[in-house]
Amino acid sequence: MIAFSLLQIIVVPIFMAIIIMLFGKMLEKKCGWLSFASLFYILCILLTEILNLSKGGYSLLESYSFTPLIGDFTLLLDGISGVVALTITLLSLVISLYSIKYMEHEENFDLYNVLYLLYYSGMVGTVLSTNLVIFFLFFELMLIPSWILIGIWGTGEREKVALKYFLFTEAGAVIMLAGIGSTYMISGSFDLFVVAERTLFMPKTILYPIVVLILIGLLVKMAIFPLHNWLPDAHAEAPTPISALLSPAMIGIGGYAAIRILYTSFPTVAFDNSFTFVLTLLSVITMAYGGIMAFSQDDIKRLLAFSSISQMGYMLFGIASASIIGLTGSLIIYVSHGLSKAALFMISGVFMHNLKTRKISDLGGLASKMPLTAISTLVSFLGLAGVPPLLGFWGEFFIFAGAVYGSFNPIDYLKLVTVIVGILVSILTAGYGLWTVRRIFYGELNEKYKGAKDPEWEMLVPILIMILLAIVVGVYPAPLTSIVSNIIKNLF
Amino acid sequence: MEELLIFGWLAWIFPIVGALLTPLLAKIGDKVRDYGAVFFSFMAVVSTVSLSSYLFKEHVEWPLHNSIVWLSVEGSPILSEIRAGILVDPLSIIMSNVVSIIAFLIMVYSLGYMKNEEGLTRYWFFMNLFIGNMLLLVFSDNLIQMLFGWEGVGLCSYGLIGFYYKDSKDGWKKYWVGEGDEAYPPSHAGLKAFIMTRFGDLLLFVGAFIILAFAGTLNFVELQNGAISRVPVWALLPAIIFFFGGPIGKSAQLPLMEWLPDAMAGPTTVSALIHAATMVKAGVYLVARMFPILYATKLASDSSTLVLMFYFIAWIGVLTSFVAGTQAMVSRELKKVLAYSTVSQIGYMMMALGIAGISVEFITGYVGSIFHLMSHALFKAALFLAAGSVIHATGSRFMYDMGGLKKYMPITFWCMAIASCSLAGVPILSGFWSKDMILEASLISGEYLLLFFALSTVIVTSFYTFRMIGLVFYGQSVKEQEHEHHLHEAPAIMWVPYAILVAGTLILGVGGYFVRHWLIESFEYLMVSLHGEYVGDLTAEYLISFLSVMCVIIGFVPAYIFYIRRSKSFDLSSKAFSSKIWTFLAKRWYINKLYYSLFVYPTVSISNWLYENLESRVVDGLNYYIASLAKQASVKIRKVQSGNFNDSLTLFLLGVFVAVIILCFIILG
Repeated sequence: MIAFSLLQIIVVPIFMAIIIMLFGKMLEKKCGWLSFASLFYILCILLTEILNLSKGGYSLLESYSFTPLIGDFTLLLDGISGVVALTITLLSLVISLYSIKYMEHEENFDLYNVLYLLYYSGMVGTVLSTNLVIFFLFFELMLIPSWILIGIWGTGEREKVALKYFLFTEAGAVIMLAGIGSTYMISGSFDLFVVAERTLFMPKTILYPIVVLILIGLLVKMAIFPLHNWLPDAHAEAPTPISALLSPAMIGIGGYAAIRILYTSFPTVAFDNSFTFVLTLLSVITMAYGGIMAFSQDDIKRLLAFSSISQMGYMLFGIASASIIGLTGSLIIYVSHGLSKAALFMISGVFMHNLKTRKISDLGGLASKMPLTAISTLVSFLGLAGVPPLLGFWGEFFIFAGAVYGSFNPIDYLKLVTVIVGILVSILTAGYGLWTVRRIFYGELNEKYKGAKDPEWEMLVPILIMILLAIVVGVYPAPLTSIVSNIIKNLF
Repeated sequence: MEELLIFGWLAWIFPIVGALLTPLLAKIGDKVRDYGAVFFSFMAVVSTVSLSSYLFKEHVEWPLHNSIVWLSVEGSPILSEIRAGILVDPLSIIMSNVVSIIAFLIMVYSLGYMKNEEGLTRYWFFMNLFIGNMLLLVFSDNLIQMLFGWEGVGLCSYGLIGFYYKDSKDGWKKYWVGEGDEAYPPSHAGLKAFIMTRFGDLLLFVGAFIILAFAGTLNFVELQNGAISRVPVWALLPAIIFFFGGPIGKSAQLPLMEWLPDAMAGPTTVSALIHAATMVKAGVYLVARMFPILYATKLASDSSTLVLMFYFIAWIGVLTSFVAGTQAMVSRELKKVLAYSTVSQIGYMMMALGIAGISVEFITGYVGSIFHLMSHALFKAALFLAAGSVIHATGSRFMYDMGGLKKYMPITFWCMAIASCSLAGVPILSGFWSKDMILEASLISGEYLLLFFALSTVIVTSFYTFRMIGLVFYGQSVKEQEHEHHLHEAPAIMWVPYAILVAGTLILGVGGYFVRHWLIESFEYLMVSLHGEYVGDLTAEYLISFLSVMCVIIGFVPAYIFYIRRSKSFDLSSKAFSSKIWTFLAKRWYINKLYYSLFVYPTVSISNWLYENLESRVVDGLNYYIASLAKQASVKIRKVQSGNFNDSLTLFLLGVFVAVIILCFIILG
């Protein structure tokens, strides 16, 4: 046991951010290594605590008294928050390494690191907190630094895009705040578990609007159709390392929070049949819409952005299945999408940094020049498509199995048809993925890029780590599934 | 009893380890890498052959089964524990031996055929990975583990079809596939194969999940032992129809057959191994694996609806076999003839399994299918490898660039001729016995319409087979002068493997009668558990032999006249009526075209249209409209802040007034 371990996870990056802010000008490029080191330290803490989880009844709770009105400052590490936090930390760690090389020609690298660490702290705080107000505070903390990061280091119409991103998410957040306030009004508490006890016997008609309010905020974050419009712009124009973090790590938090808040505090609504049907329908539309949109993109990053929308559809699909296996699948999708999409965004960064282009139509025939990049791209897209032995297979398999199971218990044909359509449209993912691989890496080489080669190690190693993890955990996912399902089963 | 079971694991672990070691061995040297790869495929042969000793033991309690925990999802009503295991029974032993032995021979052949190619590390990696995944698929005791192998072989197929990923236009004659508006570069063909089979897999997913939702397991042994009976009949029938989508995609049956002819863009070794002998049989294998389970359910259920699933697969099979056969009649490419023929022959196997389910004497159809699978694997692999030698020598995949090769390549000619006779069903080669068994099964079942189609396909098969031999080896080549000096027999490392395969087909043929009975005995345990019987109707056997030989002759005569003796007009397509049929067949019944215009082009154009209109105009437009509303509102409200003291004071008092009223309400109410 490490003292104050969960508090450290949140506070150490903030502390380090202050140090970099103070001494950044002296440190110059070294501040990248400083944030790398602090994230590495956090990863070690997190891993130790997660490995120790089985000794402490699969959850670790840290509580600090805060204000009496709001309740305690409670942090919870259990199977599901642990897995999500671990993914975020791992991604942030490797991407901070990647940033050092990628941002070498950019100015104000120290400020970049300050914001990067704050952003990390916001994400991980959102995941660990179980008090709705604290949750909301961290939710905002992850928004503001990322807004500045897009606004300063982004590409294209970055200020406009950043504002759009901010307004969309903020609008969602405000609606969610209304939901949080109403939750307090009916239950008198902000603590998820206390709320859970008090809402258990309340009529659904009261709970429904509250859940919808909270959910809207989360669905905006997940970019579920028709609330997705901010995402393609933000992901495409953010600096690539931030895209690599925004896309898989941050938007998925919406899904995680939906599991945590919905299934913990409002189970009666979460298991309601018409409610899950609407969610299923939304998720299938999102899967199909994101996938279809990806076909018309010539900008790699924009293609990946639409692909993220589609993947969030998958995640919601699992959440809507209201089954243990489906929820487990959703969290596996979170991890596997994290690994694959981060790798893909980093690869798009390789093209931008080394070849100075992000247009697919410019590229072609690069497989012989950049073999490792080609393999990584292929593996990552296959991971999104859910091809074994990659982790994505288990995610898809579980959410689909859960959804079919869910629509037979109780039998609901309309839902079953929706689910089958959802399963079949997932062919789009394989389609745009492999088509993109073909357009970038096969065929004839563009003369301009005769000198192209695999990137330097600072950029290659992070990509390869993602690929290897996706394969290894895919072949042997037992630790992941057992730690997740151990918590999920308590929700049922 | 269980001591040999470890080989069921090792058989697929060896090649996968071999695949992973390939990049490392390549660092030592090219020779080490090549021979190392062949060595690991040989280890797979050793493993599967050791397992086959079970077949010759008395009183084995099939199936032998061995499993470990893989992962668990605690508390879940379905899939709470997923186990990895192997299932050893006559079906998996026979299939695995077919796979490993043919794979090994093709690996040896590759040493000669692929010499001096670029990207060989990739080639050996995928080949070994393929063998490993294929054997994993065969030995899996549950569907989930099987899907690892199933999708794994699909991935290797994708990688190897697109082996010449540079799609160079100069190598068009050798590396592409098709011609005219249906000419595809290798990377396109690979993508097509993956997407089409993947769609079949998604259908299979749906079926599997429905079964899973009721039965709670996807383990074959557990399903066999009664778990399947938990699935109500109304759900089982659609589930199984969906489920068959996977085998239909993988085995290139209608309506998902269009990928296989184009998969011929890969190296010939790949076509032989993956797209003829082994991977495309995976679908048949899965149906055969599910067969006892489904047959038992059919027996147990009172209603007659379940038999429909067997009719379904039988009709899919026989129609595919006919359609693909007719396409082979007009194909101008050597490998494509063989590809259509593969599709057609697999159709026979599917049909046999369907018929087996319809009739009481299921064993004839069931064993017929497996027998045909074995014999087809042998002669088709031989044909492909021989075709590889021919293409190697002439540098073209078009048969019209060949001709008159008999005198230059005698060994290849004889091997190909014998294998072709086996394909056509000439007595007493292996194809004759296995095909007759399938025809016999359809006669016994009383499905005469199926039998009629099957017999027509025999005529078609005989025609295209001898047409191919005629075009390649007889007559005078147009290009003979051009490459006379480098037309030569293939080196021994290439012809020995296919000579061995041809010898295999001869041995299976001469001993065909005994092989048939030995196979029926091996599967006797199924008859016991499924209450089947084997009567063995001699009249039916003779009648079928007579009919099938007649059909072979009917197909052979025109092929002989037009393409071997070449006495009449060389090209049938010159006549007006027949030319229309010719075009129709050459355009693949327009099925391929239809798919492109229904699915491929629309996806991109719908995507572009939606992006321009819905995403950019409506959704994005709406956002900016809301933003502009806010701006307009702010302009209007700003006028209130005029800076005039009187205005401000009025507003202030108004505010106080409202506040007081609200307070009153709160206090009073």
